[in-house]
Amino acid sequence: MRIAVGIKWVPNTQAVRFDPETGTLIRKGIPSIVNPHDLPAIEMALRLRDAVGGEVIAFTMAPPPAVKGLELALGMGVDRAILITDRVFAGADTLATSYVLANAISKVEREYGKVDLVVFGQETIDSSTAHIPGQVASWLDWPYVYYVKDIQVLGDGRIRVVRELEDYIEEYEIELPAVLGIAVRALKPRPVSLYNKLRAKLNKDTIVVWGNSELKLDPRCVGLKGSPTIVAKTIDMPEVPRKKEVYKPRDPRDAARWIVSKIVEDEKLRELLVKKLWGG
Amino acid sequence: MNVTSKFDIIVVGAGPAGCASAYLLAKAGFKVLVLERGRGAGSKELWGGKAYAQPLREVWPELDKEAPIHRWVSKERFSLVWGERALTIEYKLGRKVAFTTYLTELVNWMARKAENAGAIIVDEVRVDEIVVKEGRVLGVKSGGDTVYADAVIDAEGVNRLLLEKLGLVEKLNPDHIALGVKEVLSLNPNLIEERFMLGKDEGLAWFVTGDVTLGLPGGGFIYTMRDSISIGLVLPIGPAAKAAEAGLLKEHVSSLVEAFRLHPYFRNLWREADVIEYGGRMTIEAGLKLMPRKLYMNGLLVVGDAAGFLVNTGYTIRGVDTAVTSGKLAAEALIEAFNNGGPTEENLKSYEEKVKKSYIYRELKNHSSIGDVMSDPFFFQKLPQVAIRAASKLFEADYEEPKLIRSFLDAAREEDVSSLKIIYKLGRVVGKL
Ligand SMILES: Cc1cc2nc3c(=O)[nH]c(=O)nc-3n(C[C@H](O)[C@H](O)[C@H](O)COP(=O)(O)OP(=O)(O)OC[C@H]3O[C@@H](n4cnc5c(N)ncnc54)[C@H](O)[C@@H]3O)c2cc1C
Ligand SMILES: Cc1cc2nc3c(=O)[nH]c(=O)nc-3n(C[C@H](O)[C@H](O)[C@H](O)COP(=O)(O)OP(=O)(O)OC[C@H]3O[C@@H](n4cnc5c(N)ncnc54)[C@H](O)[C@@H]3O)c2cc1C
Repeated sequence: MRIAVGIKWVPNTQAVRFDPETGTLIRKGIPSIVNPHDLPAIEMALRLRDAVGGEVIAFTMAPPPAVKGLELALGMGVDRAILITDRVFAGADTLATSYVLANAISKVEREYGKVDLVVFGQETIDSSTAHIPGQVASWLDWPYVYYVKDIQVLGDGRIRVVRELEDYIEEYEIELPAVLGIAVRALKPRPVSLYNKLRAKLNKDTIVVWGNSELKLDPRCVGLKGSPTIVAKTIDMPEVPRKKEVYKPRDPRDAARWIVSKIVEDEKLRELLVKKLWGG
Repeated sequence: MNVTSKFDIIVVGAGPAGCASAYLLAKAGFKVLVLERGRGAGSKELWGGKAYAQPLREVWPELDKEAPIHRWVSKERFSLVWGERALTIEYKLGRKVAFTTYLTELVNWMARKAENAGAIIVDEVRVDEIVVKEGRVLGVKSGGDTVYADAVIDAEGVNRLLLEKLGLVEKLNPDHIALGVKEVLSLNPNLIEERFMLGKDEGLAWFVTGDVTLGLPGGGFIYTMRDSISIGLVLPIGPAAKAAEAGLLKEHVSSLVEAFRLHPYFRNLWREADVIEYGGRMTIEAGLKLMPRKLYMNGLLVVGDAAGFLVNTGYTIRGVDTAVTSGKLAAEALIEAFNNGGPTEENLKSYEEKVKKSYIYRELKNHSSIGDVMSDPFFFQKLPQVAIRAASKLFEADYEEPKLIRSFLDAAREEDVSSLKIIYKLGRVVGKL
């Protein structure tokens, strides 16, 4: 099986500070990481490969520093990695991003052979639209299932996928090739290993870089130009200042009353919360 | 080459010491693997800010032209502060001896040099164990993977968990180490030059003592970078922990650094600057006492901080040039050993001999008694108070200025210390600095 896994290089939002004046995230100087929700997708791909053989290819569209993210995927045991990077891809919305990614999958098929499965994370921590997997599936015209918890390879060109929702579990049998979104925390990702890192380092072709001179996409369909999304309105979410108070009643109902009274009585806090929750 | 093939040398830790060794050995044609747990070489580094250039030039003659040098130190300042009063001495240097930079940048450059020379650097991998069999080092282990080599260089820095496991060193003693906490304040280069009276590319190194450490042993530092200022405090852990237990040190060290940043005597120097970074790291207080029982064993050499090679003079910390020099000596010893039949215990003995003959060891010995000063609260409490009080008598006289000696004797009396004790203590310390 040839499995491609899409990962995104994101600012570590836990380390991101908020600029109260402009209402935007201060991304400068914030270390980036592989979107944590992509790690279960990598793990899923590796388990499938380990079970049935084949190869796993990690790919990302991102600026060059994201090569560190691909190195992490390689360290976990991915066989090869593709960095899709070009100035013309910058400023992309989800449509333009998924267009490039879908075309990259087609190029993977031309270069390395048929792709059976493309797996993605459920969503990202910095934008969390969860658009990308579904859009890539649409461009490729492949079936798509998301919130996937488990996959079994049936052997006749089909797989069974288990999808777990809040109060029921669904099972689908789908034909390959397919696109899957793997549920957050579906699997515990394996740690990076020395051998895998070393193998990637010793073999110069494990990471390839594709720009638009390789993908040859119409510049009007990629990057900012290919992005029809407009930001209609942004609501500035004020940061609620933290105040520490400890109240330990015997009866939890007293705790609930206490919290509610806190909110109701403190006018400033009330306004802030209303603004934070409903935008004013 | 594949992952299970053997390397000539594995270096643990891509700090200054590891990079220097790896560079020289790769340049000499050896197959070198460097393993670093941080993301990218240098990412785990934090220091004050000043590197002595000459020892580094011996490894990289192209240093002045190529290395990420921020400013050449042209001024050294020393200040004693107590309350709102301060006494400052400045020295203007006559030549380029040391430069300021971020250690992260400098180490990154050193690592690229090593890579360009052919060393393989694998980052984000932690070595868990140095593998030894029948007294001979065979390689290193990380997770479930073992990589083999003819020799291993341990350049893991001050927190030497691997050497501890090998039984070559004891657990760190709080009296032998110190904690450094620093902030980086970003400021326009023109403002830096104006406020510190520096030319373009000129830098300043500043050592501060007094109540910035609340009278505890240790001190503060200020270094000017290209477009930022690094400030911080270094506190020996033993006395600081005792002060905390006794309730004398109530705050977190970072709030002492904050108070230092907001100190009226200094704060205008970085007015309008943004704090862009802060961090802390352990450093060595008493290098000689940290030296492993042996610097070598069959197939192993210990370099840099891991070997205790840091010279703490009481007013400067020199660990980078000594780390680089020890890395260089280790590389030379290994090359000789390989030419003489291999890195056996017998053949690697020359490393320890080289170290003992080098300036590192002489410097360590020379400054080793500084520990007596650092552990004596007198130098951090009474002495600065007497000095500041004496200065205040000289400079804050409304009508009559006392003679120098009178101001000193009066200050001592008012601070309730005998002048003889001061003279005796100073006489002893002068010999130790
Ligand atoms: C108008 C507009 C302008 C934008 N401009 C920019 C900009 O200038 N710069 C910028 O960085 N972002 C920009 N974005 C955001 C960017 O388009 C999205 O972050 C990106 O398309 C992915 O969407 P997401 O983060 O919501 O991913 P989701 O759809 O939530 O991600 C789901 C999964 O898809 C996969 N995936 C997501 N992104 C990638 C990727 N790049 N490569 C491989 N796999 C991936 C991962 O597996 C992930 O878990 C813009 C968005 C809009 C709406
Ligand atoms: C606050 C402070 C101020 C200082 N100021 C100065 C100064 O102004 N001038 C000066 O010359 N020196 C200064 N020093 C000292 C200087 O930083 C050190 O002496 C120097 O960095 C030592 O170099 P090294 O290569 O021996 O170790 P390190 O620089 O500590 O490098 C060790 C490397 O090994 C890695 N490592 C450790 N364990 C493992 C493992 N198990 N597996 C893989 N990798 C591992 C670490 O991540 C690290 O990158 C200062 C230190 C501090 C803390």
